[in-house]
Amino acid sequence: MGDERKSMLVLDDIHKSFGEVQALRGVSTDVKEGELVTFLGPSGCGKTTLLRVISGLTKSDSGKIVLEGRVINDVTPDKRNVQLCFQSYALFPHLTVAGNIRYGLEVHKWKKERIKERVEELLHLVHLDGLGNRRIDELSGGQQQRVAVARALALEPKVLLLDELFSNLDANLRVQMRTTLHEIQRRVNITTIFVTHDQVEAMTISDRLIVMNQGIIEQVGAPIEIYEKPNNEFIASFIGYVNILKGEVKSTGKDTEPATVSTELGDLEILSSEKDIKAGREVYLIIRPETVYIGSLEEAIEVNKFKGTIKSIMYAGSTVKYVVDIEGRDLFIDQYDPTTLGIRSMGDKVVVTIPRNVHILKE
Amino acid sequence: MAEARALNQPGLLWQNRKGFLSAHTVDITGGLLFLLLAIFIVWPVITVLVKGVFGPEGFTLEFFREFFTAYYYQSFLNTLLLGVLTTSVCITAGFCIAYMTTRGPRFLRIPLKGITLLPLIAPPYIFALSLIMLLGRSGFITKAFNLGWDIFGFPGCVIAQTLAFLPLAYLIIENTLSSLDPSLEDSAANLGASEGKILRSVTIPLLTPSFLKAILIVYVMAVAEFGNVAILCGRTPFLAPDIYTIVTGVEHDFNMAGVLSMFLVLPCVIIFMIQDYLIRGKGYVTVSGKPISAEPRHMTPHILIPMIVISFIACGLILLSFGVVGVGAFTKLVGIDNTFTLSHILDWRANEALINSLKVSLLAGLFGALLGVLIAYVVIRGKFRGRSALEGLYLAGFTLPGTVLGLGYLFAFNNPPLLLTGTMIILVINCLFRFAAVGMEAGITKLQQLSIEVEEASLNLGASTVTTFRRIVLPIIFPAAMYGFMYVFMTTMVSLSAVVFLTSPGSPLASVFIFQWAQYGYIGLASATVVKLVVIVGICLAIIQYMSKWTGLSITRRG
Repeated sequence: MGDERKSMLVLDDIHKSFGEVQALRGVSTDVKEGELVTFLGPSGCGKTTLLRVISGLTKSDSGKIVLEGRVINDVTPDKRNVQLCFQSYALFPHLTVAGNIRYGLEVHKWKKERIKERVEELLHLVHLDGLGNRRIDELSGGQQQRVAVARALALEPKVLLLDELFSNLDANLRVQMRTTLHEIQRRVNITTIFVTHDQVEAMTISDRLIVMNQGIIEQVGAPIEIYEKPNNEFIASFIGYVNILKGEVKSTGKDTEPATVSTELGDLEILSSEKDIKAGREVYLIIRPETVYIGSLEEAIEVNKFKGTIKSIMYAGSTVKYVVDIEGRDLFIDQYDPTTLGIRSMGDKVVVTIPRNVHILKE
Repeated sequence: MAEARALNQPGLLWQNRKGFLSAHTVDITGGLLFLLLAIFIVWPVITVLVKGVFGPEGFTLEFFREFFTAYYYQSFLNTLLLGVLTTSVCITAGFCIAYMTTRGPRFLRIPLKGITLLPLIAPPYIFALSLIMLLGRSGFITKAFNLGWDIFGFPGCVIAQTLAFLPLAYLIIENTLSSLDPSLEDSAANLGASEGKILRSVTIPLLTPSFLKAILIVYVMAVAEFGNVAILCGRTPFLAPDIYTIVTGVEHDFNMAGVLSMFLVLPCVIIFMIQDYLIRGKGYVTVSGKPISAEPRHMTPHILIPMIVISFIACGLILLSFGVVGVGAFTKLVGIDNTFTLSHILDWRANEALINSLKVSLLAGLFGALLGVLIAYVVIRGKFRGRSALEGLYLAGFTLPGTVLGLGYLFAFNNPPLLLTGTMIILVINCLFRFAAVGMEAGITKLQQLSIEVEEASLNLGASTVTTFRRIVLPIIFPAAMYGFMYVFMTTMVSLSAVVFLTSPGSPLASVFIFQWAQYGYIGLASATVVKLVVIVGICLAIIQYMSKWTGLSITRRG
């Protein structure tokens, strides 16, 4: 994406091993000023290590870390101007809320009155006005988390690093905190790097996603790009629920004509932006469950429509998740709004429509 | 803990069913345990203390007046000072080593920890022996450099005690330090704090409860300790050896021994109360959680160097002491005739003492384990009032100075119907009542894990109460019993302070044997016996370690 903003943080070929384990295997990326970027990946993919390397708490084996054009590899964590919020929040349990927020300011020998002002300002920013004298263990999880964010923001760092910040919260609070964090980030306009393994969380708050796996970056892009056009099977299945169909290209369409791919279900017509698919090539089709339509048996069987039997039903409020058996092949289908559309029964014979707009994996 | 216990109290198994032990039986057992406690802990202690205020003419404060004459009062002050000195040095060294083994370079962690824990398998007075061989009047170093100075008095006592109690101080501090989330320190560093500032503002404040606990335990042990002080005191008077001297020496002054015992118990009681007040009153933040292997921290030289120096000195002295005692065991007369000999190792008198020790320790271990588990069981499952008092009093017995309890047994069981003095039984009983509390605590921890739901589940699945006991309760409590056995066994093997009053001259225990020969200057024979004792206890420790893997009960959890 043609982002005009200047680069705040550049990572260039970062490597880090712990003994035999290669945590980072050459990570390079570029974070713009004021941007909220999320490193998304399964646990153990190296994302926390990457945050620690950026903050300076862990030294990389090789590679350059550049902050505002300056290489900061050898700058100690206290002088980097990069603040890390820990997954555990790492709040000092023996200090009050204000004591925690004040800590960095005192270390940097700010004047008393300025510290006082700044603490008030930050408490207000994170909606904790008047709670400065509370003990940490008197706060709820969400409040503790906001203290951690306030403490990290106190010194006005160039970059804010957030490690799995929401993982200790229950589902409802998590949604609420996402909004709060987003709002704070926009308000202070601070360059933020977020780390999570939760793809919904990542998609909802980020400007850009960086998907990591086993110490390398798999794909970088806006959430919609990553969701709709994943580069490979790992990303496709990591970002949401997916049907992956193996097939062979039978004929390629000319210009706007659809191509035909023979799959386990039968022949599928697809419209692909991929121009280089040739006949005879083996491909994988990514079909998101919510794009598939379930219809009644009366529908005429034509292109991209297949007969199947409902094998499993899971009611989830806003959706119903079906598994439909088509010629021995299971297809996951999400149907929205069961209130209006109703719910089918087990063993029902149905006709399933697969859309023409299907993503083809490049590899 | 209180909650966990509350959960366990109204046991379905014991309440609504005719169980293997009915609630009634548990209550009777509880009463019995109180009776045993009264006979074997409370009564002996009272017997000693009463001697201090009851002379031939009835109640008197005459002995107290005498106490405050220069000599004994000085002895009391010396003992308090020794406690302060040993505790300060020991806690400082313990903290430095704990910091190095949890935050320092990885290659140093295991060696430092291993060496620091080494004194656990040796009798505490091993350090007195080695210091005499090195810096005594005819020690290696004294002679080599022709020093006009020797180690006796405060310097020797402080060094020997510090090394002897270092494992305890270390374990308590290390336990907390290794559970302290390293991200707290990282976070402080990230906010700009220097290593020194982090120590002062984060690490040490969070360790305060552990420091208090370690200070309490080391202080009480230092004040009450007998072996090292008795061997190394020289002309400086200290309470524990003074009690021994006036009881066994020509003076035979039991009344003054009673007064001295009071002043030996007093500081222990006071410091317990202070600690309790501090921990309850201030609501310190306690660190809990699983131990984490923290990444080595980048330490600035002005933190790293003093810590390394202190750790290396302490560990160096421990290794040196073990080495010197090893050499002493095979040397004719250290410092005077430094020729190799096997005669000390082959001395049959030591073997006899070792066999006595083994017998007493095995018996004490066996009954101590049973007693510990029984108390634990009653404390958790009983419903009568005073259950926690039962636990507390047995713990108190554990922390009472051995000298006082030894003397108490000497006084209390010298007459019919409980004429036990001079028998092996008195040694067994003394040790098992003093050390059973460890097995009890392990048992309580284990039984707390067995929530009443587990028993209900078992009953619900159709098992009878007997089956429930056999298949559920027993497997849970068995490791605690084994652990209690090993602890009582090991401690009895090396314990000296109480049994020194109770062994009959004809059949001494190994620890008393070592102590007496060391006092007479037979360092070679004493060292050889220490070596044998270390080997025996070492084997036992290996078994404990193996068991702790097997049972999940770690010996390091004791602190």
